[in-house]
Amino acid sequence: MFLKIENITIRLGKFNLKDINLEVKEGQYVTIIGPSGSGKSILLENIAGFYTPNKGKVYLKGEDITYKNIEDRNISIVYQDYVLFPHMSVYENILYGLRKKSTEKIDNEKEVREIATLLNIDHLLERKPLTLSGGEMQRTSIARALVVKPELLLMDEAFSALDYKIKKEMRKLVKDVAKKYGTTVLHVTHDFEDVWAMADMCVVLRFGEILQVGKPDEIFAHPNSDFVANFVGTNIFEATVVRKEPDLTILNADGFEVYSSCEAKIGEKVRLSIRPENIIITTTKIETSAKNEIEGMIIKVEKRGHIMELSVQINSIILIVMMTPNSYEHLSLALHSHVFLSFKATSVGLY
Amino acid sequence: MNFFTFKFFSIALSLCVTLLLLMAILSLFFVPKFEEVLEALQSSEMLYSLKLSLMTASLSTLLVIAVAIPIAYALSRYDFFGKAILKTVMNLPMAFPELVLGLALLLLFSRTYVGDLLHYFGISIVFTKSAIVIAQFFTALPYAIRIVYAAFEGISKRYENVSRSLGYTEFQTFKNITIPLVRNGIYASTIITFARTMGAFGAVLILAGGTYMKTEILPITLFLNISYGNLGMAITSGIVLITISFIAILFFEYMEGKKSVFED
Repeated sequence: MFLKIENITIRLGKFNLKDINLEVKEGQYVTIIGPSGSGKSILLENIAGFYTPNKGKVYLKGEDITYKNIEDRNISIVYQDYVLFPHMSVYENILYGLRKKSTEKIDNEKEVREIATLLNIDHLLERKPLTLSGGEMQRTSIARALVVKPELLLMDEAFSALDYKIKKEMRKLVKDVAKKYGTTVLHVTHDFEDVWAMADMCVVLRFGEILQVGKPDEIFAHPNSDFVANFVGTNIFEATVVRKEPDLTILNADGFEVYSSCEAKIGEKVRLSIRPENIIITTTKIETSAKNEIEGMIIKVEKRGHIMELSVQINSIILIVMMTPNSYEHLSLALHSHVFLSFKATSVGLY
Repeated sequence: MNFFTFKFFSIALSLCVTLLLLMAILSLFFVPKFEEVLEALQSSEMLYSLKLSLMTASLSTLLVIAVAIPIAYALSRYDFFGKAILKTVMNLPMAFPELVLGLALLLLFSRTYVGDLLHYFGISIVFTKSAIVIAQFFTALPYAIRIVYAAFEGISKRYENVSRSLGYTEFQTFKNITIPLVRNGIYASTIITFARTMGAFGAVLILAGGTYMKTEILPITLFLNISYGNLGMAITSGIVLITISFIAILFFEYMEGKKSVFED
């Protein structure tokens, strides 16, 4: 295993990590997500060597690096607030780590220019960091971290200070550059879009404990606890398994039937999760491949950026459904409209 | 008292006190006759005192800064046993009357094992020029530590983390990153230290003895001449002290003005 975290426990008073175990493969892009105070940053800083654990081990490429000097680890870190050295130019900032590794001036200059071009900051090399925009500073910071070809790149809320458009560009850029350099990335974030756009694997952390590890779509579709479900913003409600069909579990949720492709025993009380974006809304009953079709009434409409968020009531259960304002208008939907909700059995998670 | 009258009161008070202080400083320059000052300036006592003052203050400033930087760094960056006690002890001389500090140092170097040990190696401190430097050092050290400490506290530890993760050792990081970032704090503390050491009196008087043309620095010259009733010499040493402080502050402002190096 490329990176292996074994039973890491850190007690820092306010922030604690309890028995963290995690395995990361080479070249993987891993996001660590969780509310503030969950210990995400401490975990990164422990891997970088800024904190020594009270218990546990960290292995990189099989080598125990738990107590290895920070400077000998070859792990780079990018912070939310860029942390560019203000007394050095963009060029000197990027060169800083390279200069330590090799004294070949010409090669170093070539490498700085190459990564600067890749990150679109080659025209800023002579500037001082304080004269740059947020996006430019973060690209410089990423260039400085990647130019030394680290074994591991750690990103601590690296995009949270950037505006929406820049964030979107940066996600693509970082993903591409990390891929080109073959860098393994651990990215701490609280933004789900980072997870969707970049992650091969996602770790959910709360109060210093790992709640769930898996591919982003697994976690979003099948959260393993109320906390993860609520945190990732999915619909959850209770239901009882009433019967089984081949490959299908049929549940009763407050008087209506729901089909799920997940396994559960008859009579078992479970929680059901459906991602809002997996629900299709129609005004008339139509034939689709979706196993589930339920009638309900719109009781709340909210516009969130470019998305309409509709609350649809079915008996006592309220489901959140997402759609574009365009579709909303096209279907002539309004408050108290009667609608049909369709979703596939495979998009219903049970836990 | 409504807001207007309070505003009037506070501004009027500030102006009055400032005017009084300014008049006091100016009286130093205007009370004595110019010839008197010129003559006093050329006296061998004044030249000796000025030279000794500049030498001891420069040396003690260097020592203070050299010691204050690592101490302030340790206090700011590391947790260690006895840190709180260390902080309190380091701050004590600020609250101490200078005379008491001088007395304490006198006892340390004459009546304790430290004094005995130094005596064994043939080093005597009390009533020598070294005593001037030592007294100045302890008078100014707490101020220097405070300023440099505040400067270190103002620098996010993340700069150091990034530098370390890019392959630099703790000391290389301190040299390449931390020191340049606290440069202004170090300038400020150097100037304050220099001003404090130039003006240090009580502790110097007790530990170095304030002997005419031997351990005589400018504040001692002022004191000795006031005692003899030689007002011209006393005022002249005052003028010289004020002028040196003024130059030091101007120099500081100039160096601080250069900080735009971050924004080129």
